[in-house]
Amino acid sequence: MAKRSLKSAKIGSHIFIWALILFTLFPIYVVITSSFNPTGSLATSSLIPQIWSLDNYKVLFNNPAVPYLTWVKNSVILAVANAFISVFVGTASAFAFSRMRFKGRKLGLQALLLVQVFPSFLALAAIYVMMERVYTVFPAIGLGSLGGLLLIYLGGSMGVNAWLLKGYIDTIPLELDEAARIDGASSFQVFWIIFFPLAAPVLAVTALLSFIGTFNEFVLASLFLQDVHSRTVAVGLQQFVGQQFGQNWGPFAAGSLLAAIPLVILFLSLQRFIIGGLTQGATKG
Amino acid sequence: MYRLAGFTGLKAQIFKISFMSIIDALLIWMFFASMAKEDSSTLSAVIATIFVLTNLVYFAKFTLPLKFLLPGLILLVAFVVVPVVYTIQMSGYQYKTGNEISKTDALPQIEANGLVLDDLAPTFDLVLGKIDGKWAGLLTSQVDQSVLLSTEEKSTVLPAGSFTADEFGVARQADGFEPITEDFAANNEESIINLRFPYKDASFISPQGIDIAAVLTQTLVYDKDADTFTDTLNGIVYKDNGRGNYAAESDPSITLTPGWRAWNTFENYTKLFSDPNVRGPFIGVFIWTVSFAVISVLMMFAVGLLLAVILNQKIALRRFYRSILILPYAIPSFMSILIWAGMFNRQFGAINALFGTQIDFFNSPTLAKMVILIVNLWLGFPYFYLISSGALQSIPSELEEAASIDGANGRQIMGKIKLPLILQILSPLLIASFAFNFNNFNIIYLLTGGGPTNVLEGQTAGATDILITYTYKTAFGSQEQNLGLASAISMVIFFIVGSISLWSLRRSKVLETM
Repeated sequence: MAKRSLKSAKIGSHIFIWALILFTLFPIYVVITSSFNPTGSLATSSLIPQIWSLDNYKVLFNNPAVPYLTWVKNSVILAVANAFISVFVGTASAFAFSRMRFKGRKLGLQALLLVQVFPSFLALAAIYVMMERVYTVFPAIGLGSLGGLLLIYLGGSMGVNAWLLKGYIDTIPLELDEAARIDGASSFQVFWIIFFPLAAPVLAVTALLSFIGTFNEFVLASLFLQDVHSRTVAVGLQQFVGQQFGQNWGPFAAGSLLAAIPLVILFLSLQRFIIGGLTQGATKG
Repeated sequence: MYRLAGFTGLKAQIFKISFMSIIDALLIWMFFASMAKEDSSTLSAVIATIFVLTNLVYFAKFTLPLKFLLPGLILLVAFVVVPVVYTIQMSGYQYKTGNEISKTDALPQIEANGLVLDDLAPTFDLVLGKIDGKWAGLLTSQVDQSVLLSTEEKSTVLPAGSFTADEFGVARQADGFEPITEDFAANNEESIINLRFPYKDASFISPQGIDIAAVLTQTLVYDKDADTFTDTLNGIVYKDNGRGNYAAESDPSITLTPGWRAWNTFENYTKLFSDPNVRGPFIGVFIWTVSFAVISVLMMFAVGLLLAVILNQKIALRRFYRSILILPYAIPSFMSILIWAGMFNRQFGAINALFGTQIDFFNSPTLAKMVILIVNLWLGFPYFYLISSGALQSIPSELEEAASIDGANGRQIMGKIKLPLILQILSPLLIASFAFNFNNFNIIYLLTGGGPTNVLEGQTAGATDILITYTYKTAFGSQEQNLGLASAISMVIFFIVGSISLWSLRRSKVLETM
């Protein structure tokens, strides 16, 4: 009796896993085949393509109405800049919160926690009006510019990053900076020479998460970037495929695949660290 | 041991001073650029504050923590705190299409809208020119061919003989009047359109082109002292209704356009609960938002946990399964959502092709909601698998051993020991995930766009709109853009998500260990 139920549980497990694998792979399969399907439409009658071609990929690089490479460039610039600057500035704040005692520290931490749960796009109407005004004076950091969008992203990621990084810096033993201080190091030197190298793996993960988050961001980018040449991949592909799935599906699939592959590889090769970061918050709580 | 010498003394000083000089130069330039523009005093003040703060903090000795905090603080205040404060302010205003400019800007526009073509007065043939270098017009009435010579100050009737007329009886020349060339007229269209030659009482003659003019009457007269507009045609008096419009005294529903953004003492909030046109969609959207977030989290958690339990056993191909099943987490989610949107397409979608059907998923509220939940499950279960798996592994194996010695079977160990522990470990993440899905803009906007929407019935909220997409549509919709109401809804969302998070933080005692 017990053996039989164990066996059926095992079969059940396998059915469950394989169903889930089919579910997982189905859209991936569809997007790969569509990207090589020259008719330019969704899978249509057959799910297995009869002809393979690179036409859809050519559209991405040759059609001036689809400045795919510019979109990728914009996304990468935003994501890299946001990752670097927000991690650097966030680490500095986290360092102060973790290692120094000053008036308003506790209040500051509580405020940070509250801000952290407030996604900046909630204030999108206000951000829009505000950046519209900035635009009249400084077009380069106002509405419609990558610079302005970057500033909004930086502000938005400050809370989360500072909070995450403070959690990590708290785990670095105090003895290290005490030793350095005895050797005559200033606070800035402790931060720059001791913490930065020590925290490098965590910084890399935070930067990576920040990078992926920026790459995925859609709300603010679509509101901000109206011009076809200043769009990010997310906004560009969405506008491109729009409601006309029939017409632009093939190039869209090709564009998605090209942009996703590097990210997936990056993610899978660093998954150990990323997952460590994910569960750290959980097990500590 | 530490190479500290690398960043001390002169080198560091020089670096610091040159870096600060660049920042200061930039800020000073920005300050003056901003001062040079109108209506940017707030921006100038912000820049000046940043300038003073930066220099104070980095050149004074007593501000060590601030040296580390300031850059983050500035970014956080400028781009998170200020927008939030501004949102609160906007939510107390009548601020929407038709009410988006200031009252000072609205007044001249209302006056301009009060100009009416006088049907009873004659139309004039117009010859434009200058008298003593000032704009003038030689006007021949098309009714009786009487001639007026007008400047912007006065109009005089010219007696016959004091002007030269062409074969149609249109006056062409007069003493002291120099006609302008066509080129000159073409280059000065804007000032010509705005010329006003005096006629009778409140009426004046206004060019309607370069060779024709008509009589306009100011029917809306502004009384500065009483702050009212009076319609001279029917005597209706329009008063400031205190909500951004001039409304007729007899019937407040008749208002003059444009309005202006005006303080309406948080009427946007009361509207959410009292105005049936707003309350209906708001409550519908609210219920769906909560059910969407709860069901999503439960489904993802259930699948993720089950998967974690299975894959934590020693089964064949474990690593292979694992690397495939976390793929949805690695693929940028906006792409996955768009791909799913295409797959559920009625005409071309892979789902309909697979089953040989023609189902229009996005046209039925129920089906559209199911699609959203399925896609969200696809996107989210890997994350829940990862965190559940982490939590499972963090449970000490002694617990399991002790329980099995006491005679518990596998199911009992799972249900009575592991599950409660996992729930306890993961509850902060479950709550965070709820908060995330509560505001999951991308999945709704990219998958269904909030639809299906019955636009014919004037609905703005679609069947699958959640609060955040509803806010977006309210603020940036194609028909009406109500920034005030959108800000009010934002504040409601903030309040809900904020209290849930705060409650969760209290429970997890994070606040006490800071």
